[in-house]
Amino acid sequence: MSTPQTIKQYLAQLRAALAGADPAMIQDALYDAEEHLRSELAENPGMSEAELLAKIATTYGAPDEVAEIYRTTEKTVARALRTPRPRPRRSLFGRFFGVLADPHTYGAMFYMLLALATGIFYFTWAVVGLSLSLGFAFTLIGIPFFLLFMASVRGLSLVESRIVEGMLGVRMARRPPYVERDRPWLKRIGAMLGDPRTWATLLYMLMMLPLGIAYFIVVVVLSSVSLALMFTPVAMAFDFFGFGRDFINGYVTVDWGFGAHIPGWGDAAAMFVIGFFLLFGMLHLVRALGHLHGALAKHLLVKSARV
Amino acid sequence: MSDTEAHLKKFEKELAAGTVSLVLLAVLAAAREPLYGYQIAKRLERDAGGVLVGKQSALYPVLRNLSAAELLDTFVEPSEAGPPRRYYRITPLGRKVLREWADAWGSTRRFVDSILKD
Repeated sequence: MSTPQTIKQYLAQLRAALAGADPAMIQDALYDAEEHLRSELAENPGMSEAELLAKIATTYGAPDEVAEIYRTTEKTVARALRTPRPRPRRSLFGRFFGVLADPHTYGAMFYMLLALATGIFYFTWAVVGLSLSLGFAFTLIGIPFFLLFMASVRGLSLVESRIVEGMLGVRMARRPPYVERDRPWLKRIGAMLGDPRTWATLLYMLMMLPLGIAYFIVVVVLSSVSLALMFTPVAMAFDFFGFGRDFINGYVTVDWGFGAHIPGWGDAAAMFVIGFFLLFGMLHLVRALGHLHGALAKHLLVKSARV
Repeated sequence: MSDTEAHLKKFEKELAAGTVSLVLLAVLAAAREPLYGYQIAKRLERDAGGVLVGKQSALYPVLRNLSAAELLDTFVEPSEAGPPRRYYRITPLGRKVLREWADAWGSTRRFVDSILKD
């Protein structure tokens, strides 16, 4: 690898050296390197970039050394900080009930409930921001407003990344993509418009409205139906004859396909079993959806970055 | 000798990996004001001559993890000369952890010293 002459080249080499690593980690590593190099440059105004980078290789590290450091640190830290995955269970029984002990299940369930609120907020923010940007485009405040809106989108993308990482357990970027501040405004706007991540993030924010509503409904409906079924025997134990007081002719009737009748203990037990399996089915579904949503968020918020 | 040098380098690297979190917490506990990554690196370079920490790029992931563990506080501020800077400041939890780590380090050091004396 030739010695880099400019900060841009250094970063390109670092990105190449990290190829294949987690894209979230690459974004963090590039951010750290750029902050450090530009600080060094600001401290030594007399020095040329090439001289500076020669010095950097011995202090901060050459691109391939830095890549190696990030790869190793990431591995050890991931092991130390992550919620340990539950031991994979072999038996069918263990795999079915293991979902109860998996912290990801509850993280995903909470995320899906929260998604209604965040989804509405993201959607509103994106739609209002975009339409106001278009409306202001030909006025004096058009450009500052658009830049402000885009900065807020980047900020929200990081917030959502924290939520997704915390609740769904997917490694997301912890630093924003680096913004070059020394370029003229029009160039920066051009770069922003050409960056696929800008559009991917906006798309994600729009998609969160239908997704958030769907996630919320899935969790609320399935959990209330399954819990209601599971508590049938309890309701019966409290008030056997008044069980269906509010229904037609004073009784609720049950029809399993063999004709309607007034429910007894057998029916209650059957309802409990159905509710029980529905509940576990919901937990499995929620965990799987959490997994899928994590992949989607990572793809739209991190991976779409220029590579 | 180049073959003993390789052993020394490896040992130094392992020592640095084990102590870098402690050193960073201590530096930030001693600082009067929040510091950013580059400043911390320069302080260590000045005080330790780079012996302890190895390459400075190794500091950044550790800083990030310390703040993820809520031992450090972090915020970004734009600077007039150059890029926005991410500042770090030790939290009360960080100070508590630092005291415990310092004790652990003290007992490790006493133990290693006593073994080396024999």
